[in-house]
Amino acid sequence: MKAIYRVARATFFEAWRRRFLNAILVFAVLIIGSSWSLAYLQPGAELTLLIDIGLGAIRFFGMLIAVFLGVRLIADEMEKRTVHTLLAKPVTRTQFLVGKLVGALATVWSNILLMGIAFYIVFALKAPQFRNMDPEKGPVVRMDFMYANIAKAIGLSFLEVGCIVAIAVMASTIFSWILAAIFSFFLYFVGQMADFFRVLAQNPDRVESAVQRTFFAILYAVLPHFEVFDVREAILKDQFLPWLTLGKIVATGVLYIVIATLIAWLAFKGREV
Amino acid sequence: MTKIYQLEFGRKQTGVEDLNLEVEEGQIFGLVGPNGSGKTTTLKLLLGLVFPTSGTGEVLGFPIGHPAYKERIGFLPEGPYFYDHLNAVELLRFYGGLFGLGGKELDRRVQELLELVGMWDRRHIRVRNYSRGMLQRVGVAQALINDPDLIFLDEPTSGLDPLGAMQIREVITRIRDQGKTVFLCSHLLKEMEPLCDNIAILNRGRVVQSGTVDELLAGPQGMYMLRAHTVPQEVVESLRSFATEVRTWDSEIEATFADQKLAAQALEAVVEAGGTVRELSPYRRSLEEVFIDAVGGEAQ
Ligand SMILES: Nc1ncnc2c1ncn2[C@@H]1O[C@H](COP(=O)(O)OP(=O)(O)OP(=O)(O)O)[C@@H](O)[C@H]1O
Ligand SMILES: [Mg+2]
Repeated sequence: MKAIYRVARATFFEAWRRRFLNAILVFAVLIIGSSWSLAYLQPGAELTLLIDIGLGAIRFFGMLIAVFLGVRLIADEMEKRTVHTLLAKPVTRTQFLVGKLVGALATVWSNILLMGIAFYIVFALKAPQFRNMDPEKGPVVRMDFMYANIAKAIGLSFLEVGCIVAIAVMASTIFSWILAAIFSFFLYFVGQMADFFRVLAQNPDRVESAVQRTFFAILYAVLPHFEVFDVREAILKDQFLPWLTLGKIVATGVLYIVIATLIAWLAFKGREV
Repeated sequence: MTKIYQLEFGRKQTGVEDLNLEVEEGQIFGLVGPNGSGKTTTLKLLLGLVFPTSGTGEVLGFPIGHPAYKERIGFLPEGPYFYDHLNAVELLRFYGGLFGLGGKELDRRVQELLELVGMWDRRHIRVRNYSRGMLQRVGVAQALINDPDLIFLDEPTSGLDPLGAMQIREVITRIRDQGKTVFLCSHLLKEMEPLCDNIAILNRGRVVQSGTVDELLAGPQGMYMLRAHTVPQEVVESLRSFATEVRTWDSEIEATFADQKLAAQALEAVVEAGGTVRELSPYRRSLEEVFIDAVGGEAQ
């Protein structure tokens, strides 16, 4: 346990010194910070745009940071051969892997937290202005669940980037880091469309061939369903995000993290360094 | 133990082959061999960083790779590198923490080690700004952080200035004198010869010679060697008539004799002619000669 903590801590502080990752974070915060000015571009839909840009930026840049951090996590240790000294100490491969992963999770989560805070501030400052708009000019969005929903959405982003880090690390223990990055991006974007495959699989009208439908069904089954983390639609309609739904999404996310970590562990425990 | 590396496209590369080594406690064991002969591979096998293709091994009584012995060993890898955002103190604290060390005791140990390797004055410099030799020095310090019973050093003095190399050699002998075991890899034969108690010579993954340094370096039974200088030329010529071999350079001569009696005769002749005797001793080969004999022209 101590070993995991030590490795995680070192990983966290090292990751925070990556200029490239910091640049992504700064860029994301800038976009979020200026999203209110972009919102003016679309009179009547300011609030929609604000939420779209804000939460979208958190998810997207969080994903970028997660992939780039995740695929380099083990690769860096191997290339710089810091792993040699470490594994010669009382640190097992399992502790090393878990420690690295925990450190990476802490890093992306702190990144999401900063982006989330930035967005929350912008939203709290700007949303009331947009809400008090003249109903004649555009729809007045109700704000009953808005603040709570946004917090929940940011919470889901934590989980989503957690999954992505775990998947990126998993991929990097199997492929080279470049291939792992491509794999992770691919999985993420196709995973966004997982629900679309379900629709295709269940609609004989749209896809006639049973073979193709089975193919889509399999795709739906194996792909991680990243679309579940996107709750912007519900937020915009100001529907209450039920705790049960959230619970299911959280369970899904945790499951992905566990599976990816398990595969990474299987790949890494026999790995020569 | 055998280690065959699998390369891409199914090609194979032998790391070490049928390696059979035994290192006794309390000695400095030297593994020497040309580049690519498998020294680093041997260390990696012993530390569980790579896995043997066949065969087994034990370290401190535990099967290789077992977590238990890692508490009691130290390791300096070849061309060491560390988390480069840390400075020397943070780095040693980090490694110490992995052994469950902490607090004042660890602080004291860190200072002691950094002074030992001459890095205490430079302790605030971050690893990323280190020179090659500084990395090496801190590398030695981190290998000692847990006061190990057995320490593996892969080319410990590479990249070090002469003073640094000497300090490290002193550290190595001191560790041995504390009853600990040192496993040393190097191709610096001049350095290994006086340092090691036992040596194995590795070539292309195989041990081609091994034994105590005295055994390896012993010349043919009963031979003696005389070293002297400012010996008159005619005396040198007369030595040639009964010496096995006479070598001269500048004003120095080095002659070997088949037995003690001939050597004594030569000694007398040299002294009588006003030459200065430097040394008269049983003939010992240099490790370099032994190495070249063992490895021969077949070294890559
Ligand atoms: N990771 C690896 N993959 C494939 N082959 C390897 C690997 N590491 C070492 N080898 C091969 O194994 C052989 C032994 O290498 P090793 O590094 O053990 O030599 P060495 O004695 O330490 O050499 P040096 O004196 O240069 O440090 C070499 O032929 C090398 O090419
Ligand atoms: Mg080597």
